[in-house]
Amino acid sequence: MSPASTRANDTDDVRAAAAGDRHAFQRLYRLHAGRVHGAVYRLAGYDHARAEDLTQDAFIRAWQKLPGFRHESAFGTWLYRLAINVALMDIRARSADPVSMLDDDHLPEAGETPFCAAERDELERAIGQLPPRARAVLVLHDIEGWRHEDISSELGMAVGTSKAQLHRARGLLRKILGESS
Amino acid sequence: MNEFEWRRQMRDLRQPLMPQRDLWAGIDAALDDDSQLARLPRPATSAVSLPKHRQRWLLAGSLAASLLLVGSFGWHLLQAPTATPVARANPAPATWKPDDPRLAGAAIELDAARMELQLAIRQSPDSPALRRLLDRTELQQIQLRQLAKQAG
Repeated sequence: MSPASTRANDTDDVRAAAAGDRHAFQRLYRLHAGRVHGAVYRLAGYDHARAEDLTQDAFIRAWQKLPGFRHESAFGTWLYRLAINVALMDIRARSADPVSMLDDDHLPEAGETPFCAAERDELERAIGQLPPRARAVLVLHDIEGWRHEDISSELGMAVGTSKAQLHRARGLLRKILGESS
Repeated sequence: MNEFEWRRQMRDLRQPLMPQRDLWAGIDAALDDDSQLARLPRPATSAVSLPKHRQRWLLAGSLAASLLLVGSFGWHLLQAPTATPVARANPAPATWKPDDPRLAGAAIELDAARMELQLAIRQSPDSPALRRLLDRTELQQIQLRQLAKQAG
């Protein structure tokens, strides 16, 4: 199926789902679950169970908000932003949870493996160990490709704070991975 | 590692990922609940939606707490003598309803709380707090039966 026909089907399904067609919404779920869950999973610190809860929440909210969707952007983009928002709200709600926090003083010992040799899984595990807000900024900026202006707006922080959090997150990540630079 | 290499490696992580289990069944069930709730008047301020298991936990907790108040109010209302110690192993049957209208409401609420707690325990079987709440609710059901007996 070509991207154009995918978009056309997507639009039809979006309209049908907004009118209450559950089957159309299921098709949208099947089409977009991968992108949504991938982003949420990274923001949730690579925690499968939490990411699944958040993905489920995101689709439930999408269903509730669909009648208000104005088709000003692609449905996938709208859904992706909504899911990111759900994940960030979860991070805000858990920001006082000391269990999920990692301070510079509590970093694991630096290993022998240099960063350049780190496998993908190792990198993901390391990102998962970052403090929630620093992780959110790192994931949104370095992985999802967001600008600091958008990140600061979503996270309710100053642009400078977003940049500082990114700097801190990168430093922590390098430290976790054992890079001395 | 230079900045370019770092960015490339990070961007490589940007991959779609399907959930490990199919979430559609859960979403579908939640949409059913949502359409039922849509028929009821919604509160003016919409709280941040919590995952279902947390919502159930909170609901059970708040029901049990409110029932503590109802129970103690009923107790003082009837000014009954202190109840004899009750057998913990024999909770009141679920369908019991006293004749006294002052106690009937409390009986229904206690029963609803017990069922909510049982549902919550099914989802979080290792929660000691939920177990304690269930024990307390069942104890209140027994005490309520005794009150009803004493009230004639």
